[in-house]
Amino acid sequence: MSTLQLWGQYLPQFLAGLVVSLQLTGAALVLALALGTLLVLARTGRIRILAAIATGYVEVFRAVPVLVLLFTAYYSLAQLGLRLPGFWAGVVALGAFYGTLYGEDMRSGLQSVDPGQREAAVALGLSNGAVMRRVVLPQAFLAFLPPGTNELSNLIKDTSLVLTIGVTDLMFQANAAAAATFQPMDMFLLAGVVYFAFYILLSRILARWELNVQRRRS
Amino acid sequence: MSSDVVVDIEGLTKRFGPRTVFEDISLQVQRSEVVAVIGPSGAGKSTFIRCINYLHPFDAGRIRVLDHELVGGGAPPSKATLRQIRMQVGMAFQTFNLFPHLTALGNVMLGPMETKRVPASDARDKAMALLTSVGLADRAEAYPRRLSGGEQQRVAICRALAMDPEVMLFDEPTSMLDPEMVGEVLGTIRGLAAQGMTLILVTHEMQFAKEVADTVVVMADGRVVEKGPARDVLEHPTSERSRTFLTRVLKPLETVEDGQEQGQHGGQESGPGATTALGGDHP
Repeated sequence: MSTLQLWGQYLPQFLAGLVVSLQLTGAALVLALALGTLLVLARTGRIRILAAIATGYVEVFRAVPVLVLLFTAYYSLAQLGLRLPGFWAGVVALGAFYGTLYGEDMRSGLQSVDPGQREAAVALGLSNGAVMRRVVLPQAFLAFLPPGTNELSNLIKDTSLVLTIGVTDLMFQANAAAAATFQPMDMFLLAGVVYFAFYILLSRILARWELNVQRRRS
Repeated sequence: MSSDVVVDIEGLTKRFGPRTVFEDISLQVQRSEVVAVIGPSGAGKSTFIRCINYLHPFDAGRIRVLDHELVGGGAPPSKATLRQIRMQVGMAFQTFNLFPHLTALGNVMLGPMETKRVPASDARDKAMALLTSVGLADRAEAYPRRLSGGEQQRVAICRALAMDPEVMLFDEPTSMLDPEMVGEVLGTIRGLAAQGMTLILVTHEMQFAKEVADTVVVMADGRVVEKGPARDVLEHPTSERSRTFLTRVLKPLETVEDGQEQGQHGGQESGPGATTALGGDHP
């Protein structure tokens, strides 16, 4: 069978895998953003102990390979009696890791806002909430977008690690197809093509979105 | 005490850690009075003016703005007191600090909409009227980065005026401006003074202070070294410290005017422009 025939035969399976990869990406992204927000609140807040915990969390989780986190979520937690399905172990591991990155992106976004902006808003008589909502966050968001979208691209690629714990994502399908056909070259090439196509599509969309947000403000 | 006192400052003292920025400063500002605060770099002028709307907390003394009082040291003022004071005290900054994600109009509308729940249409009408009054009606939809420094500062003044403040603070409003834009901003401030707005401004524009201010306060080494009617203080300073300061600021001006550069600047703002470069108070 030629490469194209093989691809045609396995494409539906690959696309089913892509759907799993995307679901995993989406769920991990939600968790990572929520966790990142909590980390920023804790680290910039006034409660010392929370700030220390958040800082410790970031230091540790940023330094550990995602694969270690993945195996911990899947195997180690199971040993402790918490048996997570593979998909959710993936969400937890990726969310826990990317939460640290998003937390840092959000923090640097907030820090990028000129202190004079807060002063000017405060001097107008705005409440603390209004200062954040109307002045600081809109500017911090703009600074957060480029690293934030970059993180998302990496997150999509890192979902391929869940193959190792048996989640039927795109990489899992490619691996299974390679084993069944004895054509690893063709099958992993196809996986690469599907990842690549999706990556390009998404980064185009994100870049356009970023540009729109920026253009609206100049 | 006269009911016409808008700002009453008594014994104001500010420290940054072990360093005393200024000590025991008292100042009463009457309605429609224009007070210029001058003095050498590092004298604490900007820090002083920023205490009035509590952008900086202070360590001792008290500030009363109409019916609301801030007391130094001790517990910080209540949120309600701070809000009341900040709504009555407008401020323009050295670096303008316009909100870059909002248009000129949006900048001017924000305060009343957020703090007084003024409907957008009313806020818009008022903002347009203010922008028109400073000659910027046609720039209303422009974002700050498309505006010149002078235009930005005028928008920033409108932003503060939209809150109908009882007193306006100016923290070196022209020292970040190119010389050719200083005049338009000073013109706007002059207009406010003519309308009877109470003004407190930190400035290096001696000529402007002489022309517009009723009272000049000279700060040096963390103290008020001289205070009095503008012309008296600027032309016949009595304290030794303000005399040295004024000589240093005004002398280079004379050399510039006598020297070969004469004619290059032209206009009445050229002198102060030169002193700004020499006596800048930038951190």
